[in-house]
Amino acid sequence: MYDFGIKSPGSVDDVKAALAEAEDGQFLAGGQTLIPVLKQRLAMPSDLISLGRVEALSGIQAGGDSISIKAMTTHATVAANNDVKSAIPALAKLAGGIGDPHVRNRGTIGGSVANNDPAADYPAAVLGLGATVITTEREIDADNFFTGMFDTSLKEGELITEIVFPIPESAGYIKFPNPATRYALVGVMVAKIGNTVRVAVTGAGPCVFRVAEMEQALTASFSPDSIKDGLVAADDLNNDIHASRDYRAHLIGVLARRAVAEACA
Amino acid sequence: MATYVARNGIGERQRRMEDFRFLTGHGTYIDDVNLENQAYAMVLRSPEAHADITSIDASEALALDGVLLVVTGEDWKAAGYGTIPTKSGVRNFKNGSDMKEPPHHAIAIDRVRYVGQPVALVVAESLDICRDALELIEVDYASLPAVTHQSEAIKDGAPQIWDIAPNNICLDFELGDEEAQKKAFAAADHIITLELVNNRVTAAPIEPRGAVADYDAATGKYTLWNASQNIHANRDIIADNVLKIGKENLHHIAPDVGGGFGGKNGVYQEPILILHAAGQLKRPVKWINDRAESFLSDTHGRDQVSSVQLALDADGTFRGLRTETVGNLGAFCGTVGPFTPTGGSSRTQGGPFKFDAIYYTAIAPFTNTCPLDPYRGAGRPEGSYQMDRIIDFAAAKLGMDPIELRRKNLIPAADLPMKSPMGLDIDCGNFPAVFEQTMQLSDREGYAKRKEATEAKGLKRGFGVCMYLECTGGGPKEEAKVVFRDDGKVELSVGTASTGMGHETVFAQLLAGHLGLPMEDIEFHQSDTDATSMGGGHGGSRGLEVGGSAVTQTSRQIIEVGRKIAAHRFDVDAAKVDFEEGRFHVPGTNHTMTIRDAIDAQNDPDNLPDDLEPGCMNITSVFERGIISIPNGGHACEVEVDPDTGTVKVDGYWVVDDFGTIVNPMLADGQVMGGIAQGIGQALMENIVYDESGQLVTGSLMDYALPRADDMPKMVIGYYEDAPTEKNILGVKGAGEAGCVGAPPAVVNAVCDALKEYGVHHIDMPLTPERVWRAIQDAKAES
Repeated sequence: MYDFGIKSPGSVDDVKAALAEAEDGQFLAGGQTLIPVLKQRLAMPSDLISLGRVEALSGIQAGGDSISIKAMTTHATVAANNDVKSAIPALAKLAGGIGDPHVRNRGTIGGSVANNDPAADYPAAVLGLGATVITTEREIDADNFFTGMFDTSLKEGELITEIVFPIPESAGYIKFPNPATRYALVGVMVAKIGNTVRVAVTGAGPCVFRVAEMEQALTASFSPDSIKDGLVAADDLNNDIHASRDYRAHLIGVLARRAVAEACA
Repeated sequence: MATYVARNGIGERQRRMEDFRFLTGHGTYIDDVNLENQAYAMVLRSPEAHADITSIDASEALALDGVLLVVTGEDWKAAGYGTIPTKSGVRNFKNGSDMKEPPHHAIAIDRVRYVGQPVALVVAESLDICRDALELIEVDYASLPAVTHQSEAIKDGAPQIWDIAPNNICLDFELGDEEAQKKAFAAADHIITLELVNNRVTAAPIEPRGAVADYDAATGKYTLWNASQNIHANRDIIADNVLKIGKENLHHIAPDVGGGFGGKNGVYQEPILILHAAGQLKRPVKWINDRAESFLSDTHGRDQVSSVQLALDADGTFRGLRTETVGNLGAFCGTVGPFTPTGGSSRTQGGPFKFDAIYYTAIAPFTNTCPLDPYRGAGRPEGSYQMDRIIDFAAAKLGMDPIELRRKNLIPAADLPMKSPMGLDIDCGNFPAVFEQTMQLSDREGYAKRKEATEAKGLKRGFGVCMYLECTGGGPKEEAKVVFRDDGKVELSVGTASTGMGHETVFAQLLAGHLGLPMEDIEFHQSDTDATSMGGGHGGSRGLEVGGSAVTQTSRQIIEVGRKIAAHRFDVDAAKVDFEEGRFHVPGTNHTMTIRDAIDAQNDPDNLPDDLEPGCMNITSVFERGIISIPNGGHACEVEVDPDTGTVKVDGYWVVDDFGTIVNPMLADGQVMGGIAQGIGQALMENIVYDESGQLVTGSLMDYALPRADDMPKMVIGYYEDAPTEKNILGVKGAGEAGCVGAPPAVVNAVCDALKEYGVHHIDMPLTPERVWRAIQDAKAES
């Protein structure tokens, strides 16, 4: 680690002010990515602005047709929340499968979504469930939020405050864990929302993405058999020692079928 | 609390004495060793796999406040230090010429030969200053072509790593009778050939390597605390061969060590570098490897590519075995590295099966990778993988039953003792009985039902077996020293080295059991060159075989002296004094004396007969084994394979081991389980990968997959105890490595059994989901 200062403001306004004052400030949410990066000296912020004391950024609220999760809510909290478990069980399951107990008790939904790791689980939930990302500046549709590898449409200084998930008719999430990291080698979220179906894939490409061909097939008939092999081209997928792009393309089909089966169960 | 152990300590399920300390954070691991005024060291490691160092400029680093010293190859040259020698037991080519041993200096001189090789050492007032200084050292490299795969390294025109080693070959090797093997092959009905890979792995102990060096200017003596498995032999190399300070001037200590598995066996560069620094600075210096450095710099294991041929008759009778292997050595000779693919893999060729002839050859080349050295099993797992894979492969090719093929060819009990075609002295055992016990334990009758349940889930189930034959190794001698202190404590010092496996328990158990003293009175010392004059450390599953025998021998000698003291007190002949449960007794009289009474009496000459001196019960004895023991056993494994994804789940595991006498069944179980866990890890996920340029791709736990608890099946462990060996006092056969000797072939055989309906008969380790899935696709495409 290089030296840095740390500030722990108590409100969103104070967070903004602290960032404005800092020479090169960086938000610290749960720190499950940022702290290892700092330890490896791969980043050199002048100040960390910890969000942990901002009470307004934590909590889960269930409405009639949506569930709102504040940015600093931990994965463990989401996984254990009864409203989430009954309204969107696939989301609770997804949160309960992130990392290990240490990660789940520190890591936050806002931190994960803002970081947009290509192998993280939450982007599949946000995109697959068609959530809305609410920031200090605006509301961003999931479809306009994830822009590339570790890249989002968040602007400099813009902070996620909450994420609003519409409650789907049914949804399923299946993750194929990387044996080393247990991040998603491929993870597929399938959700049936009204008359539409959304399919979001994480882990397989440089950034979470939807599969229009599968969505169309599932809109016509929401059954595992609707998903034929070869609906996702391998060309743009990740290719590394853990899995080739061809294998990832194959897994997307297998996992999507299993996610539909889970949603139907 | 006073815990007494019956039956001379044999067979007692004594709980581990060290665990309270370890589990409550009171262990003293290397990072817990801190000396007053210590400085900190970090290593600048080569980013290049093969390059000339054209310049090193450390001036900016040296100018940084708090930087005390920067050591480079130029300093090493100027100091005239020696090289780190290899102690490989095989040292000559087949034609008798000497192995090619290149100079292995503790720091790169003029050229680097693998990524991670130490190029400079920085010593500073703090670790943070070290890190800043490392970034300020400028090294210019002129890159050279690199070669990382052993099969490429031996080709004509491959990049040459050492001038003395044409085609990069350090050593070649043969064992067995080539003529007899050819004759056996000519007479056999079938010859089945299998090419296979034994993947490269790293030990990844939970505690990384580290050391603290101190220098006493007043006496000229050095002290080195070192997370090492082998402090006596390594002291001699460091002090005599490298630093040339004389071994009497180096006190070498290993505190609690958090896992070794062979990876902490050898002599490493960094402890030598910090000894030099401590001498220069006249203050203590501490160095701890981080996890990323561990992947780069801990010696790796395995990494053989082999061709195995099995010759057999139409009725399945084995005739001959021929194995050719190429074993990667890395850029230098590890401390025993060249032995592993040569002698190490040769001795157990053929396993517990009967052959007319076996012929084994090996080539051991250098590559631009981290040096290799023993990893749990050190060659025998490779041998057992070759043997048990070729059996299943042959069975598949010839339409035979792999279980029956084994049953038919196991060496009958009546043939023992025998000398194997590889020259191994197999003194005792009963391989058919072990095999049948394994089959019985694994519930073959229930298999059909389990298979049905698996298939109802859309998965495939397979069953695999391995009948392994092992041999122990390491230094043949061990010392056990007992000192009875005035405060009532009994100091027991043994020259072996525990890296967590429970010596503190089992050796105390043997001593307490023999003497009838409570376990709690015994204070165990190990891994300290001042505590024992000699010591063979840890390796080759030797701890109980040699160390336990030494403790037993010393215990018996103490009792004999105690008997004389008792005889003197009761004025009878010593032969008339019995000893039982800690008490000397003259039968037919009321004369009794406890061992504690004898200990209390030993320091007063009035209590002693003329031929005994005060302190006579404080005894040190050295046990030396003649011939290594032959552990053996059967592994049986069931797997579930998801054919859609290629995922393998090990769903059941049964093992029967013949370790001779079982001293502490709980510790033996622990050894077996840990070994199986590492074997399953190697079979399914662990893999060290270098790219063609020599960069390490699997440089962290994000890319190197280690098995987790939930990857492990329930393991059912049994022992065959009817064949104690006479090669040592205890009748034990080493238990430490056997688990990972048997597990890889058992797991791979089970997966191939599950996939045989697709025509999949071999997949190279690790059996990652993609490899398994691909094998199914390839087989489908072929048929």
